[in-house]
Amino acid sequence: MSTEESLTLDKRLALVGFSKDAEPFIVVDTDKCNHCESKPCLYICPAEVYAWKDKLNYNTEGCMETGACLIVCHKIGAGAISWKYPSGGKGVAFKLG
Amino acid sequence: MSLEGFEVAVVGAGPAGSAAAITLAREGVQVLLVERGTFPGSKNVFGGRIYSYALKKLLGDSWKDAPVERFVRKEGITFMTSDNAFSVEFESKDAEGSFTAKRAKFDKWLAEEAEKAGASLITESRVDDLIMDGSRVRGIVAGQDKIPTDAVIACDGTTTGLARRAGLTSMLEPNQISMGVKDVIELPSEKIEERLGLEPGQGAAHVFIGACSGGLRGGGFLYTNQDSLALGMVVGGDDVSSHKTQSYSFMEKLRQHPKVQRFIKGGKTVEYDAHMIPEAGPKMLSRPYTDGMLVAGDAAGHLLNNGYTFRGVDMAIQAGVAAAQTVLEARKKKDYSANSLKTFERKLHEDPALKDMYTFHRVPAYLRNRRLYTVYPELVCSAAEAVYRVDGTGKIKISKQLRLQAKGRVSIFTIIRDLIGGARTF
Ligand SMILES: Cc1cc2nc3c(=O)[nH]c(=O)nc-3n(C[C@H](O)[C@H](O)[C@H](O)COP(=O)(O)OP(=O)(O)OC[C@H]3O[C@@H](n4cnc5c(N)ncnc54)[C@H](O)[C@@H]3O)c2cc1C
Ligand code: SF4
Repeated sequence: MSTEESLTLDKRLALVGFSKDAEPFIVVDTDKCNHCESKPCLYICPAEVYAWKDKLNYNTEGCMETGACLIVCHKIGAGAISWKYPSGGKGVAFKLG
Repeated sequence: MSLEGFEVAVVGAGPAGSAAAITLAREGVQVLLVERGTFPGSKNVFGGRIYSYALKKLLGDSWKDAPVERFVRKEGITFMTSDNAFSVEFESKDAEGSFTAKRAKFDKWLAEEAEKAGASLITESRVDDLIMDGSRVRGIVAGQDKIPTDAVIACDGTTTGLARRAGLTSMLEPNQISMGVKDVIELPSEKIEERLGLEPGQGAAHVFIGACSGGLRGGGFLYTNQDSLALGMVVGGDDVSSHKTQSYSFMEKLRQHPKVQRFIKGGKTVEYDAHMIPEAGPKMLSRPYTDGMLVAGDAAGHLLNNGYTFRGVDMAIQAGVAAAQTVLEARKKKDYSANSLKTFERKLHEDPALKDMYTFHRVPAYLRNRRLYTVYPELVCSAAEAVYRVDGTGKIKISKQLRLQAKGRVSIFTIIRDLIGGARTF
């Protein structure tokens, strides 16, 4: 892989280790999102956990656990996100960091 | 492992937590260090560089066992427009003042030092709650386990879970956080040394200001590991949200710049990392202690990022040690009330390293000035371009050139105001 070619987010996420948590650690009350004008979650998230297609969709599998979505959703958005870290040992695992 | 009989629970095996655990365990305190990751460091991300003094103080000679990538001997700063760059470099004489590292190795090593000192480490364990007795913290809750202790030291990092639970802060504001993203790019060590102008084994730290953040509060960084470059961007949480630009898109903006391309060309990206940064300083918490609990490190805003030096790990270590010392005093008095633990705050203010956080408390506000990321980098680059270009059309003096370039971009009064502001802040 050469660095001159630009890297897509998908390619980047494929480089990160994840261990899926069976327990949902992010839950979004997506009805609230329909009235959310700014939708800051779409922009702050470095892993595109949140996407908009007619309504808010979210997929926690690539979540890097920064916790920033919770802050912007509650302070700028409509306050729809409940968030905690995945269970111990689950979720993202960086090999380098 | 039996979870009974621990005097102190330290939550989070990052630098703050491990430093606190080392300090306590050495004095014979029964200390439990709890980490949610599969190993300490597996959840942690930074730029790159650790200032050595804090480790030397904590570990004496054994700090030399730290998993150092390269000692930083070259500091660089680049002001960039989309296709131009003006760089300044400084060569440090201090051979061991700071070093680059990988957190997955460094945090693991430091937690092992805590175990060697006698602390008990449990991993893959998420602390979900505090045992509360009115306003007094009496231990931690991790899954099914309720672990009673005399005191808790919360070193759980930037999402401040336990400090919020104890009522020491509410949720942070978007302008009090930044998002950091980073690519680790493998490159042979000779190439790294050749491209950054380094002697074998020496390292460099470089920051980028200007076009890479698209005018938003933020900037880029580059650190040299032994066989890889850590290249990343930090952008303001408020700016990213209101500008409707995805945080990770800045990574590409930085990578595609010609100056950066020359560093990373031919390299292979091997990991992508992201992490949040608390930028509000220690005033982020109403106070860093309550009955039965202290908060240290990122969780308490013990971090100083002034654009050219980024000090999180050294501050976290110092603060972790100060928290542990406070607990040791409280243990002698057998009094873990807030009134007894409040000496922590005095220790933070008096610590020669940590007091920088208070001296430079205006930095975060100053760095919110957008001109720092737009007008000034452009001005520097275009003035340099004009100064160095000889095309036979006649030259004017540098001072006049600067004024000419500023015209239409920014008024002289604004520049002076920003300069005075900068001089008062830094
Ligand atoms: C992009 C970026 C670049 C940076 N660059 C630098 C740099 O070059 N130099 C520098 O010195 N600093 C840098 N920093 C800052 C530095 O990384 C932090 O300040 C430092 O890691 C803080 O240490 P800490 O121990 O307080 O927190 P952390 O290192 O975040 O450790 C917290 C630990 O607690 C664990 N934890 C959290 N919640 C729980 C829970 N509920 N139960 C159990 N465990 C839990 C986490 O898994 C983690 O291991 C950078 C940060 C970022 C994001
Ligand atoms: S910011 Fe919160 S409320 Fe708005 S779209 Fe995103 S999740 Fe929904």
